[in-house]
Amino acid sequence: MLDYLEIISENFLGEAAPPRYHLDRIKERYPLVLHGVGLNILGPTPPEPSYLDRVAWLADYVNAPFVSDHLCWTGAHGYSHHDLLPMPYVPELVELAAERAALVQRHVGRPFGLENLSSYVEFERSSLSEWEFYAGVVERSGCHYMLDVNNIYVSSQNHGFSPEKYLAAVDFSRVLQVHIAGHSRDPNGTIVDTHDQPVALAVWQLYGAAMRRAPRPTLLEWDDRIPPLSEVLTELAKAKDYSA
Amino acid sequence: MTLPASPAWLLELEAAFGRMLRQPLSRATGALRAETGAYPPELLAQAKPGPGLSGAERLAVYHRQYWFRLFTLLQGAFPLTARLVGFWRFNQLVSDFLVAHPPRGWNIDQASDGFADFLGETLPDTELELEPARGPLPRAALLEAARIDAAYHDVFCAPLVTPYAPAQGDAARLAQGRLRLSPAVALLTESWPLCELRRRAVGAQSTEASLVLGPRLAERRSWLLGRDGVRLGLLALEPREARLLELLTRHPVAAALARLEAEYSGSGLETERQQLPELVQSWLARSVRLGVWAGLEVES
Repeated sequence: MLDYLEIISENFLGEAAPPRYHLDRIKERYPLVLHGVGLNILGPTPPEPSYLDRVAWLADYVNAPFVSDHLCWTGAHGYSHHDLLPMPYVPELVELAAERAALVQRHVGRPFGLENLSSYVEFERSSLSEWEFYAGVVERSGCHYMLDVNNIYVSSQNHGFSPEKYLAAVDFSRVLQVHIAGHSRDPNGTIVDTHDQPVALAVWQLYGAAMRRAPRPTLLEWDDRIPPLSEVLTELAKAKDYSA
Repeated sequence: MTLPASPAWLLELEAAFGRMLRQPLSRATGALRAETGAYPPELLAQAKPGPGLSGAERLAVYHRQYWFRLFTLLQGAFPLTARLVGFWRFNQLVSDFLVAHPPRGWNIDQASDGFADFLGETLPDTELELEPARGPLPRAALLEAARIDAAYHDVFCAPLVTPYAPAQGDAARLAQGRLRLSPAVALLTESWPLCELRRRAVGAQSTEASLVLGPRLAERRSWLLGRDGVRLGLLALEPREARLLELLTRHPVAAALARLEAEYSGSGLETERQQLPELVQSWLARSVRLGVWAGLEVES
């Protein structure tokens, strides 16, 4: 029923023995891909070689066909905010992110995918749309899309753009993997990427449109308020229906 | 090849964003709220309004996420402490801690490191006044609870360590050597039945059910916390075993034994003193079997 699993890289980069024990059991049974949340590609300085060494080691350890992280920043000036934070979409940062992404891909020795954010704020300084920025980074870096369809939808609702237009700008020959997930609505109306419930119908429809462009490996993210496995599998089965 | 650092304007924007995130949430209304009035002006000037919300309200989504993610993390790492004081008060303690010690590395599990010590350094030397339904909590009980929670966290997060197995020749070196405690082991002491309370707190992980501290124990109790595979377990220690273990972690073996014997000399516990050599022999052997030690260090 499950073709492969994705692990959050940072959960296994440390020395704690119990996570490694569980990882060893899982990797015996399933192919694994790595998905990071701590790369900080648009932090003040290029990613730390020591951090990349750990990711590369983990990728080798589980024989991951590719690794991914987010097109965002997560900390600055010595502080780590442990969140995926947005930045202005400007050509200057396309260049910066692309150089750093190319460095990551070389360092880990396998395809590297960048995921689009769910975002809740945009900046006056931006001169590009998010999809122009994203496409520019992928194209210039020689890296790949780790395309989160739910995030496209969430950001489109929060910022008032067309998710279909976003999708149309994606070069699907460079999409490594697709994410789908559930989201929630804050009392103030903001849609937040919570991964804690079934995928919304509008996201399934967007996903169906993406799969009609080109079927790609798909991962259902459900990592909070996790229901019984049978419910998760039922949800996952819908992905096969929408991509058929 | 050296890649360039970020442009100055991005460094400034990220610094302002970080300052906004690290502002504690307001507690003035009886609920945790993001007060946008004190957000850095240079950040507010950049945050665009969107459908139905101002730029400041959009930034507040991140502000709340920052704090609630960390509150949840520390509630998980300190389940006993959180339930003894209640989540409202616990979150305040966490907020004070994180303002003084914000997270700095990629490993979010390390964000709680130092919390128990912080409480010990900053809590006033009085009982903690909690909400009326809970009553006051002795400071010493809260600190014991936090140290027990921290020990569980540290033992869980410890790397895989090969337990010390005496080699040929170690018997001769043992007296002057110092046994190194395995990072997957901790000595816990309690003056209230905190370990049992923690077991119940973890069993009710998803609720904020309050715990009643109960009366102080007639005598302090000690436990050995250890990890067997991926499971954590407790082993009750009798007082002399606990004291011996404590001394062995601080002193070379011979010095530890001498101190233990001195503590029993003239204390009216002559029978116990006479039993010490046998106790030491059996406890050392048992502790090795249990994997308490990670090595023997002998100064050259």
